[in-house]
Amino acid sequence: MAREQPNVGDLLPLLESSDIHQLEEIKGLINEHLSTERGAMLLNGLVDYFLETNSAQAIHILSSVREPHDKHLLDKMNECMTKQACRLPTLTLLGHVVRKQPSWIHKIARYPLLLSLLKCLKTDLDVVVLITGVLVLITLLPMIPQAGKQHLYEFFDIFGRLASWNLKNPGHISEVYLIHLHASIYSLFHRLYGMYPCNFVSYLRSHYNMKENVDTFEEVVKPMLEHVRIHPELVTGTKDQELDPTRWKKFEIHDIVIECAKVSLDPKEASCEEGYAPMPGNFYPHLELRPQESVSSPYTDFHNSYGSSSSTPFSTPRQPLPPPLSLASLPGTQSLYRSPQTSRSPNSSCELDTTCGVKELWSPSSLCGMATPPSSSGMSPNPELSHSASHLPGHRVHSTSGGKGTPASSTPATSSPPHTLSDFPIIPLLSNTTSPPQKDDHPVEAAKPSLVKQEPIRDSEKGGEVINRDVGGGETISMTLSVFMKEQELQQRTEREETAISEELLKITKDKRDLAGVRGFDSPFYRTTETLTGTQEKPLPNLPLGGPMPPRDPHHAVSTSDNELENAQGGIGGGGDSSTGLALDQSWSIEPVCPFSPIQHPLHQSLSALEDEVAKFGGLFSPSHPMKKPSLPYEALFDLALPRAASLFVGRRTSEARGRAALEKLCQRQEGLEDREEEGKGIVSASPLEVLDHLVQQGSDTHDKVLKRLPLPSKSADWTHFGGSAPLDELHTLRSQLLLLHSQLLYERYKREQHAVRNRRLLRRVINATALEEQNNAMKDQLNLQSVDVVTLKESLQVEQQRCRQLWDDRETVVTRLHSQVRQLQQGRDDYYTKNQELQSQLNEYQKKMNDLEADLQRANNKVCHTGHLLNQMTIKLSTSESTQQQMSFLNKQLLLLGEAHKLDVLQQQHTGSDNTKEAQMVQVSWGKEVERLRQSLLQQGQKLEAAQQRVGELETHLTKKEHLIVEQKKFLEDVKGQAKGELQASESRYQAQRRVTQLLQTELLHLYSRLEMEGHTCPTTASAAGGSSTDPGPPIDSSIMEPDGSVTLGTNEWSDDRRPSQSPRGNGSTLLPGKPKANNSPKALPVNSASSTQDIPPPLLVEPSFSCPHAPLATPMPPDAAPLTVGSYPSANSFLGMRARELFRNKSESQCDEEPPPPHLAGLSQGLKTELCVEPLFPPLGNALTCPVPASILGAPLTVPAKEHLPETRQRAIKQESPRRKMGGARGGGAAAASAAQPRQQQQFRIMDYNETQQEHS
Amino acid sequence: MAEDPQRNFRSAYYEKVGFRGVEEKKSLEILLKDNPLDVEKLSTFSQRFPLPSMYRIHVWKVLLGILPPHNDSHSLVGGYRREQYQDVLEALKVMRFVHMATPQTQVYLRMFQLESQVLPRRSDTLPPDEEDEDFLSIARAMEEIVEDPMDCYWLIKSFVNQFNNKFGDSIPHLPKSLEHYLSVEEPRLLNHLKNTGALAMLPYSLWFRRCFAGCLPESSLQRVWDKVISGSCKILVFVAMEILLSYKIMVMGNSRPEGVVNILCNMPQENTDAIVTKAIDLWHKYCGTPMHSV
Repeated sequence: MAREQPNVGDLLPLLESSDIHQLEEIKGLINEHLSTERGAMLLNGLVDYFLETNSAQAIHILSSVREPHDKHLLDKMNECMTKQACRLPTLTLLGHVVRKQPSWIHKIARYPLLLSLLKCLKTDLDVVVLITGVLVLITLLPMIPQAGKQHLYEFFDIFGRLASWNLKNPGHISEVYLIHLHASIYSLFHRLYGMYPCNFVSYLRSHYNMKENVDTFEEVVKPMLEHVRIHPELVTGTKDQELDPTRWKKFEIHDIVIECAKVSLDPKEASCEEGYAPMPGNFYPHLELRPQESVSSPYTDFHNSYGSSSSTPFSTPRQPLPPPLSLASLPGTQSLYRSPQTSRSPNSSCELDTTCGVKELWSPSSLCGMATPPSSSGMSPNPELSHSASHLPGHRVHSTSGGKGTPASSTPATSSPPHTLSDFPIIPLLSNTTSPPQKDDHPVEAAKPSLVKQEPIRDSEKGGEVINRDVGGGETISMTLSVFMKEQELQQRTEREETAISEELLKITKDKRDLAGVRGFDSPFYRTTETLTGTQEKPLPNLPLGGPMPPRDPHHAVSTSDNELENAQGGIGGGGDSSTGLALDQSWSIEPVCPFSPIQHPLHQSLSALEDEVAKFGGLFSPSHPMKKPSLPYEALFDLALPRAASLFVGRRTSEARGRAALEKLCQRQEGLEDREEEGKGIVSASPLEVLDHLVQQGSDTHDKVLKRLPLPSKSADWTHFGGSAPLDELHTLRSQLLLLHSQLLYERYKREQHAVRNRRLLRRVINATALEEQNNAMKDQLNLQSVDVVTLKESLQVEQQRCRQLWDDRETVVTRLHSQVRQLQQGRDDYYTKNQELQSQLNEYQKKMNDLEADLQRANNKVCHTGHLLNQMTIKLSTSESTQQQMSFLNKQLLLLGEAHKLDVLQQQHTGSDNTKEAQMVQVSWGKEVERLRQSLLQQGQKLEAAQQRVGELETHLTKKEHLIVEQKKFLEDVKGQAKGELQASESRYQAQRRVTQLLQTELLHLYSRLEMEGHTCPTTASAAGGSSTDPGPPIDSSIMEPDGSVTLGTNEWSDDRRPSQSPRGNGSTLLPGKPKANNSPKALPVNSASSTQDIPPPLLVEPSFSCPHAPLATPMPPDAAPLTVGSYPSANSFLGMRARELFRNKSESQCDEEPPPPHLAGLSQGLKTELCVEPLFPPLGNALTCPVPASILGAPLTVPAKEHLPETRQRAIKQESPRRKMGGARGGGAAAASAAQPRQQQQFRIMDYNETQQEHS
Repeated sequence: MAEDPQRNFRSAYYEKVGFRGVEEKKSLEILLKDNPLDVEKLSTFSQRFPLPSMYRIHVWKVLLGILPPHNDSHSLVGGYRREQYQDVLEALKVMRFVHMATPQTQVYLRMFQLESQVLPRRSDTLPPDEEDEDFLSIARAMEEIVEDPMDCYWLIKSFVNQFNNKFGDSIPHLPKSLEHYLSVEEPRLLNHLKNTGALAMLPYSLWFRRCFAGCLPESSLQRVWDKVISGSCKILVFVAMEILLSYKIMVMGNSRPEGVVNILCNMPQENTDAIVTKAIDLWHKYCGTPMHSV
């Protein structure tokens, strides 16, 4: 290391080596060293080296320093900042570093470098330093948004200081600087307002409230404020909020830049992104025409305005000429579009007015009064005056060209390849003036190299050729033009390096002038020659004009050459190109006019005129150069991205392909040229910007050289001519201006890069959107296809349906046909069926018939058999009949014989008598009578029968009634029996008690007797006396009773034994059913009855008592009473009791009796017929006897319920009279017999009744 | 009986609220209106319900056969009864078995003896034996219930006769039955009685021979006798058991059989009605409500 260290240090000067290989080697070495070493030595050395030499290589290395060295670098720079002399280069270096955007740049806020920068900005008085520093600061701000907030008020203070500087001008610097300063302040204002609106506005409020600052506000800040819209943050945000680090996190650096641009109303500054960028009305057509180029549009518009502004004053007569519409409608590339627009825009005068008006309205230059000193600031400040910082590069280019471009009057730029930066001694020779054949080639060549040049600018990554192709052969004439200009500038610079060339240039211009026709060309060319020399030596008032002039010549040259070029292009590019070429031609052809006015009245030019000029330059040069660069590469991409332009793109590809051949040729040729010209540098890839930078540097270098070389008188002459300030001062001013311009250019370039970054991103989005749109379209197409498919399918479906329907119909018809056939067949089958059935039935019939016939046959056979049998019989009968015939004949014979005998007998009878007939007649009559009588009797009998039947019915009812009665009586009897039983039990118990009492008494008696006897035996008298005294009344009674009692006691035992059986029959007799006594009586009564018929009645009466029981003595007193009773009662059998008794007992007894003699029916009937009339009267007494209880009441019995009560009564009586009646039983039978005898008719009647009853019973 | 339309429709509720006997009187009157009285029904009624006292004597007479079922013969039979009573009484008087000073129960006893032919001779008159004592106590009770001496005599006589005839065989089994029911109802008491030996010495004769005559006051006694007369001697067992249960604490407290017997024989006369009611309930519970049972 230690060894190498000096080596590396030594290497540094080698960086300036012109040998590229060596340069590369050294660079590699240094980088390697930096990457390996940590120390700050080399870096410090590098910085020092840079400060000394301002070496571009050193910048390159320093700006790409890596992470660990940042600290050393920043420290070193901080260190350098403290030194007044190093400040500017340090700031420049810082600007380079910052613009490089190294990854560590955010750290800068932590280093003292920032503080020292701010301090420097606050304190320094050198305007160049300030502007550079401000630009650096502006660039730096978006990179450290939240880091910057610590120093926010320092920023504001800086702004305030610089803004007031403008007015107060404390450093007493020239106004040229002020303009620069103003532009940078304007940028700073935008940046601060865009980033920290609230804070900034509040700062403004507080700062410009102070009286001393009011002027500054009115003059400087207010116009700036007029060009910003209200920041949305002012509405929604707060001071703290906008300082919030989170707010910045989502933003990238370019986002912040765009954010700041958004709030600007300045059309140059503002971005029309998001749709709220301010757009003057005249821009809209363009916007409409290419809305996709929104990003680039400001620049093109910018173009237009310049174009218009430059051309309009002179193009008025040409207004009807241009074919803008046709051009606009013509399909062409964007660039083609644009170029016509530049030419077209002048057509609309209003556009001019508006643009001019706008310019005048808002250009700070007018406010700043920048137009005042045309002498000194005439040229360079103009762009700054008229426009915002965005114009600066263009103007700078212009100004540089102006400054250095005076040699451009030698316009042979077309032939000079862009990369041959330094030495092109021969190229000017190859200018368009050289030879017509060359011209033919050159324009084309010029176009191509320009494109080649542009490649690296557009896209450093892309290969130049590729983009070349993309851009297309006849792509942009305007571009080619601008490139021409640039080349010319470059060439001018190169030419400037060699003074000898100027002479040639002069020649050329003269030639040109000759070519172009004299008119006023001399002066410009003259001037230009002057400027070529003079601008660089002394600041002439012509200088600004001289700046414009030199390009004019080339323009003219170009325009002239363009005609040829167009011709050539007409072959290449096609119709569209020719028209544009025409338009361009016209514009160019007129342009030469414009220089005159500034030239002729350089000093009297109004501000607007100046602006016009500047605008013209901007339109012609600056815009085309720096603005196109960003826009162009994307246009190609837009073409790719946007389906709308796809067809155009294809078309362009074809033209491009055509152009490529020419291009290759050109390249080859150029290479050949290069080979010819160059000493061996093969690198073509240097970017034009770098070239520009180099140019600026080298221009300054050469300028120094030239300055030294130039003869002083010329200088003085110039100066005296203009009466300007000291040349050295002016020189310094110019140099610093150059520096400022460079730095501003760098700043603008940086901005542009930011835009580029953003554009790339937006483009990606556009591409995405386009892709989506494409996809959408594709899908739509697919949809359409599918719908078409669907339609076709539907159609086919319909067809199929139709076919199907047809098939169906066919099928239907077939089916119906088949159905009908089937029906027919069925019918046929049915017919056959019926026939079959008929036949079957016939068959059956026949079979039946057959059967019948068979049966008939059988029958016939039977008959035959039968008849045979009969025949046999008949034969037998015949034989018998024959025999009987024989007998008959025999009998006939006998009959004859008997007849004869009969005759003989008749004869005898006639003789005997004829009375028999009478007798027979009488007998017959008697028979008849007899029959008659019998019939009558039959009738009678029938009637009797009926009567008897009636009677039977009546008797039946009687019988049921009787049965009822009997049941009732049975119940009653039961009742009575129970009652009697109860009573009887009571009496029984009483009796028992009596007996007990009696027994007791007897025992007592016996006891007494025994005592008495005992006493009597002992002392009879006394005893008797005593007994008499004591039991006197008793003994006689006792004795009297005792006698019988003794028997009785015995008897009682017997009697009680006897009496019970005897009593029970009696009780039975009373209680039992009436049938029972009869049963008892009947055996007795029967003999009596039988006897009664034969015997007399009385005897039984006498006999009866003899029948009486052994206990007759007890009953003896009764018979005498009973006998008369019964006797007396019995005859009165008609009385109730008798009747009743008879009724009760008659049924069985008498019926039994009656049954014995069965009466003859016929006799009974005849008797009944006789007694018929007597039957009726007989009934009532009987009914009375049955139902009427009147006789009972006569008897006097107390009867409450006669039907029930009289019976017990009678029974009681019957019980009382029982014994006598029993005795009279036989007599009663006799009595009955007597009664029957007495009333035979009644008896007969009864008999009939009885018969009926018995009949019933039997039945 | 229950379907009788003449019965009060409220009768169903009377029993629910505890008024027994409101409807019984009516139904009894209906029963007594029948001409041949249905003795069966009467006895069933008497078993199921307490007899109203105004009809008690009449019902008893009918049930005991003193009056025949036929109302018609009542007067006649009544005459017979009276004659018989007078005859017997006269005879006794004549025979000087009784005199004016003889207590009525003694008279009844003599009469009963006379009618049962067990009247001892006057000379060898013995002091009254056990049976006579039973009779006498029953007679004493009956005398209290019935005013008319004739009716009283007849009721006593019929009651004693019926009791002896009907239940003479079952009376010796009653103590066993008592033991059984007691074991069901109150085994602890039974155990106590058994352990103390009082079970054998309980006043069975007083309970079952005299039918609690002399043990219970007449007002309660007649309710017991209603049941006895109507044909159930089981009621005696339940009355005895209820007496035991009622005096359980005293009985349990007394371990001497003599003491127990003493307590039972001389029981207070206060809550006998309750005892009888409970006994009847128990009887109904165990023997069921008799329909025509004996």
